[in-house]
Amino acid sequence: MMRRSATAVIERNTTWSGSFATEPWEAAWAGEAVFFVRQLSSEDGASYDSLTARVQISPDGIRWVDEGHELILRGDQEMAFVRVGQFGGWLRLAGDVGDGSARVIVYLSLKE
Amino acid sequence: MTPIPAGPFRPLPNIIFADDFDRGLEGWTGLIGNYEHSLDSILPGFRDLRPPMLSNASTWDTGTGGGALGTYSMKLATRARAQSLAVGIKRLTFSQACPIQVETLFTFKPEASQLRLSLADVGAIGVILDLQDDRRRVMPHLRYQNAIDGQPAGQWQFKHRTPNFRNIGDSGETVSHFHLGPDGWDDVPNGQQQLCYNEIATKQNWHYLRVGFDLASMSFTALQCNDRHFDVAALQPMTMPAMPNLWCMLNLVFFAEASADRRAFLYVDSVVMSADFGAVERSDGS
Repeated sequence: MMRRSATAVIERNTTWSGSFATEPWEAAWAGEAVFFVRQLSSEDGASYDSLTARVQISPDGIRWVDEGHELILRGDQEMAFVRVGQFGGWLRLAGDVGDGSARVIVYLSLKE
Repeated sequence: MTPIPAGPFRPLPNIIFADDFDRGLEGWTGLIGNYEHSLDSILPGFRDLRPPMLSNASTWDTGTGGGALGTYSMKLATRARAQSLAVGIKRLTFSQACPIQVETLFTFKPEASQLRLSLADVGAIGVILDLQDDRRRVMPHLRYQNAIDGQPAGQWQFKHRTPNFRNIGDSGETVSHFHLGPDGWDDVPNGQQQLCYNEIATKQNWHYLRVGFDLASMSFTALQCNDRHFDVAALQPMTMPAMPNLWCMLNLVFFAEASADRRAFLYVDSVVMSADFGAVERSDGS
């Protein structure tokens, strides 16, 4: 049986500054996931040193708890990722940019 | 042959597709506005349309509700911001300009982040076709306006006035018009309908929707929701001159709009699009 898969663009051309969290995403059908955060070049000169995004899980899409994995995307990097499995029904990223801001596109690649 | 799901479906003779979201998103994807060179060139209204996901409709108090006919449905979730839109689209082309019909089971709710009824937190849910024949691009728009200004509305509406097109980028090849805004909707005559919302924000009842449209005459033929059959004689689609690159386009769109700073969820299960290919031969008398 071929495994089903789907990639969602959960943030697109979004500017993060300070604390951030992606929109809740339902992923109960999937067994494994990879978040990619890609930095977009920005005409408004958005820049930052480093951002950390923690994987969070939830039983209901409303209340969230850290899953334990995280990614770090430095200001001079284009993209970073984090893998996660056994996450139950909901996924999101939450984190901090620190000083400055980052313009990003965020992918969530899911697979059965 | 795609099996027709159980339930109230009464498709036309030829099945174009029957999507059961227990098999995945089946070609449904997010909508993005047209752009050139940069995402910043997208018209503002098109920049942040939230895409579809597969949902098993789990709630904090009773757990998984599931789909109408299985475990999963397609969920369109807005941001927690008034007038935020979530849009799912499936893109096809048609092989015959004949009567078509869209049927689905749907339900909508706000995010249950407060312990109250939240009856008026979902602004609207809707269905759009995006079509083009040899002469015209035609975009039938229908929505159920659930609430307006924080008050329940319960009104089916259509939109036929075409927003202005704007050039995108600098090549002269790309234009865009934001047709999903809250402006320009007219009431369907006698289009008031109270849907079963139920008594708390986590109880969901599925509704049956049927929309008929004739690709030959480019006119509505049916609008049914549950036990109500609405008169479509006065309904008009949005119509504009044919555009490059869109010949025989047959796109189907569902959308949800928040009316409060709370996420609005539209769940759609088992979308059946059917057609009557024989109608063309019968009308020719052959």
